[in-house]
Amino acid sequence: MRRCLAVLVIVLCSALAQGTAWARDRDELVIGVTQFPSTFHPSIDAMMAKSYILATTRRPFTTYDANWELVCLLCTTLPSLENGMAQLETTPDGKQGIAVTYAIQPQATWGDGTPVTTRDVLFTWEVGRHPETGVSNLELYRTIWKIEVKDDKTFTMHFDKLSFDYAGINDFLLLPAHLEESRFRASPRDYRNRTMFDAEPTNKGLHFGPYTITEVVAGSHVVLELNPTWWGKKPFFRRIVVRAIENTAALEANLLSGAIDMIAGEAGLALDQALAFEKRNGRDYRVLYKPSLVYEHMDVNLDNPVLADVRVRQALLYGLNRDALSSRLFEGRQPVAHGFVNPLDWVHAKDLPTYPFDPDRARALLDEAGWTDIRRGIRHNAGGEPLTVEIMTTAGNRTRELVEQVVQSDWRRIGVDARIRNQPARVLFGETVTRRSFPGTVMFAWMSAPENVPRTTLHSSHIPSPENSFSGQNYTGFRNAEADDLIERMETELDRDRRFEMWQRLQHIYADELPALPLYFRSDSYILPKWLEGLEPTGHQYPTTLWVENWRAAP
Amino acid sequence: MRGESVFAFARRRFLRHRLAVAGAVCLAVLAAAAAAAPLAAAALGTDPEMADLLGRFAPPSPEHPLGTDDLGRDVLVRLLYGGRISLFVGLVAAVCAAALGTVVGLIAGYRGGWLDAFLMRFTDGVIALPALPLLIVLAAVDLSKLGLPAGLVASEDISLYRIVAIVAAVGWTTVARLVRASTLALRARPFVLAAQAQGAGPLRIMVVHILPNLASSIVVATTLAAGNIILLESVLSFLGLGIQPPIPSWGNLLTNAQELVWSAPMLAVWPGLLIFVTVVSFNFVGDGLQDALDPRALERHT
Amino acid sequence: MTRFLLQRLVQSAIVILVMSFVVYGLLGLMPGDPIDVMITADPNMTPADAARLREIYGLDRPILERYATWLGAALQGDFGFSRLRAQPVIDVLVPALGNTTILLGAAFALSLALGLAAGVTAAARPYSRLDYAINFAAFAGISIPPFWLALLLIIVFAVILGVLPAGGMGTVGSHGLWDSLSYLVLPVASLTIASVGAHTRYVRAAMIDTLRQDFIRTARAKGLSGRRVVLGHALRHAMIPVVTIAALDFGYVFSGAMITETIFAYPGMGRLIYDAVMGNDYNLALVALLFATALTLAGNLLADIAYVALDPRISFRSLER
Repeated sequence: MRRCLAVLVIVLCSALAQGTAWARDRDELVIGVTQFPSTFHPSIDAMMAKSYILATTRRPFTTYDANWELVCLLCTTLPSLENGMAQLETTPDGKQGIAVTYAIQPQATWGDGTPVTTRDVLFTWEVGRHPETGVSNLELYRTIWKIEVKDDKTFTMHFDKLSFDYAGINDFLLLPAHLEESRFRASPRDYRNRTMFDAEPTNKGLHFGPYTITEVVAGSHVVLELNPTWWGKKPFFRRIVVRAIENTAALEANLLSGAIDMIAGEAGLALDQALAFEKRNGRDYRVLYKPSLVYEHMDVNLDNPVLADVRVRQALLYGLNRDALSSRLFEGRQPVAHGFVNPLDWVHAKDLPTYPFDPDRARALLDEAGWTDIRRGIRHNAGGEPLTVEIMTTAGNRTRELVEQVVQSDWRRIGVDARIRNQPARVLFGETVTRRSFPGTVMFAWMSAPENVPRTTLHSSHIPSPENSFSGQNYTGFRNAEADDLIERMETELDRDRRFEMWQRLQHIYADELPALPLYFRSDSYILPKWLEGLEPTGHQYPTTLWVENWRAAP
Repeated sequence: MRGESVFAFARRRFLRHRLAVAGAVCLAVLAAAAAAAPLAAAALGTDPEMADLLGRFAPPSPEHPLGTDDLGRDVLVRLLYGGRISLFVGLVAAVCAAALGTVVGLIAGYRGGWLDAFLMRFTDGVIALPALPLLIVLAAVDLSKLGLPAGLVASEDISLYRIVAIVAAVGWTTVARLVRASTLALRARPFVLAAQAQGAGPLRIMVVHILPNLASSIVVATTLAAGNIILLESVLSFLGLGIQPPIPSWGNLLTNAQELVWSAPMLAVWPGLLIFVTVVSFNFVGDGLQDALDPRALERHT
Repeated sequence: MTRFLLQRLVQSAIVILVMSFVVYGLLGLMPGDPIDVMITADPNMTPADAARLREIYGLDRPILERYATWLGAALQGDFGFSRLRAQPVIDVLVPALGNTTILLGAAFALSLALGLAAGVTAAARPYSRLDYAINFAAFAGISIPPFWLALLLIIVFAVILGVLPAGGMGTVGSHGLWDSLSYLVLPVASLTIASVGAHTRYVRAAMIDTLRQDFIRTARAKGLSGRRVVLGHALRHAMIPVVTIAALDFGYVFSGAMITETIFAYPGMGRLIYDAVMGNDYNLALVALLFATALTLAGNLLADIAYVALDPRISFRSLER
């Protein structure tokens, strides 16, 4: 009977193998990502997998391109003070504001044939600033106090806040008024549960990009097919399938088995996995690395009396061999960070103190700070307290767990009793970090756009507390009057040179005070088939699929 | 029972069970090796927790008999230390669960009535209780608020105790049901009735007269549970809710290795193999014990 | 029988009601609410925004009051919306439930069938070489961590041999039966291997126990052939403990296939529950978990009915308490 079964299995397998054709035509591309979007509404719940997919079906007015320059996608010309499309003005209540005029691409048309017009702009604004819709990012909509419509395709936005990046409305994501208006008007409060983006995501009228969504299997995959109303360059691929495979080992297996063609860099393999993959399969695949704006660091709780001493923080950084970390774990692909600004960002300061690995210097600083009594390898102060520093991070994130264990080993070598206590992301970000209840340090990353002013993470008014219902992201509790002043001034400083100077000063304060210990800048790794051309990694939060029409298969 | 005590008889029957003996030997060897982990670390001159970035993924050599892992730590030493954790979690959690289950089952079965009904519905409830939110809640609860000493809460071992507590808290139900069913049957047996007639209190009857008769099924359930708990720990590690680094356990060693399955497959093979051998051994031992302690076998023999 | 069923239904309803409260409380105890998570994701959120969102989602009210509101609506058939998916909970649940039913139904049936065959074979000649081999195989299956097994199967059959798909629901654009089946082979195999061992062990133990009993000896003495004794009489009797275990498994597997579903990127209930709990999607998590509870209870009820069918000595009256 056993033998029969074995024969049966073999026959079945071979029958299936013939029945399933994995060798796809080259006009179809299957992309593997590690998450599946929970919603397809553009402005509810930010999520990488969603931005990645929606970037093929719609376009923002403006965005940052692969060179980290602001460019127009849905607008025709980038407004500026120089070309007159942006004009300084004073708001009715006396604040310094700015009026910025945009023109919508003349041929831009929703997938069902309805033109994209200023009506959509007004509707999007209405939804965005409505207090009951549950749109989480209100900031942009709130700063617009008026939208003036010139004609169907031209409008002027009046901002009640002046900022140097006034032309960027990257997150103003257009909603189709002709489909959504009635749903919204019926009950703004229920809008998020009624929106057609989730009730009927394959409706062509929701999209105006090169592709439209034609099939959604929740939790599994999304099928994208050509949008006939797309105004731009005709994409090469007739069909793109985005498949969600959360487990990265399984994701890799899917790639090797040919079930998917590529792994997205935006939500794909961790860098060390990509490096290992390249070593084994470099002949068959192309692996692209792009340094990104994701800044991995350890936030220090400055309310902890031990860590409030800047000498201790500096000693911790001197005692940590970040060069070895970067070169050994990441083969130099994830450069050591000396501050929160990426070296590729134009405002990056080149003359910062770098705290190179120097255990002797670290020991001297700890001695100076009073941690002189070494008992069984651990430093104690005069009061007999041990020098204990807790390290927290997201449990289950393998890269971070590796890094924190290296940190722990290095710190133990300089007599610091480093303790690891990890929590699931849900708990860590849901409570521990937000409520600032981490006693020592917590390792995580900030993701940002180019020249992103760190108001929410460094300004003293953004320290989460019960009084402000724990909003704000200054988790370290950093208070520095000069930094506050710089942040406030640089946001409104239009002169590039003067702004550059402020950026330099801010980075120096950060490097001297070390509210957080900089570790490294992450790199995205894109695993591509050799035949795929035209994909240009961006390295910031705006995905490569915004230029999906440039992708093609080599002949 | 002529010429041979119950224990000698059970031992003889157990020893006849070749696989069970092999399993017991395996477990003894693993336990001894795990106990000797600090000795092995000292002999090899390595620390199981100290990272050495210059010596990552070293092949087997005299200094590192099984090579090194992704942070340059000795694989053998970490496996041995991991064995301490895994065996400890498996055994302690299983024993705690069995103890809890025995108490609940004895009381429910002996007392009967509304107490029995309440305890059994409670047991049903615990069986149906979703483990995942419970785990997350327990992973986040501020233990110092529960009156635990601060030194313990801050120690890295806390994830260990947490897992033991959780597993024991949800794992006692099987034993409770088993014990209750047997107690119900034993309650009406002549020797219990005789003891009652002599005026023995309920506690004495439960402990002295009923409990010894349940020993065999409790022991068997415990051995089988120990194996399952070791597996469960590996699943918890997979979800990031298991033993936290740098403490090694077979479960988290295996989980960490799954991302390296292509580049360093041996890192996954070793802990996988050890879990496999241990769980199989526990099962065989449980199997052998079941035969050896089977009261019906005893009855037939006498 | 009607009385028995009624009694059980009432009991089950009470258990589900109590469980709904316990689960609600458990979810409420979890640290951080959805708004905390949103604040972390969005730097520009002000205290006013947080308060406004809490009010929209009803998170500003005490948990008992929220539970009462939820229960009131649920009793009228309104289970609310999933916060993550922004859709009615039932709409999210149904497809996942369908997928899981297919996956687990197949694995369960296969495991039970194989377990019966192997268990009966082993019990026919206890302590023979064949018995040892089957035992060993059963323990081996039990002893492999599930994610490890799943990964191993993918590597062997999808990557090295290339005969089966590595995961997912089906090839896009192809809707053939063969295609869908081929995607089920590996996940079903991995679930089957994990559970067949336990089933084999239970069948074997029960069979050995039964074969020792008097009525089997009588049947043998009457001259019935070995095969007829084993299959006709003993197996029927031995099914009782097997049914018990199967019933217990029934509810458990609905939430317990999570690991397998994750690795094979199969959108089923296990994943859904995990995401809902992790993503603080109260309504979804609650209903999904209660569903699993209801299935456990239904499984137990079915088991009791099966006892009566299998053993003439058990009647519905004896099951009533």
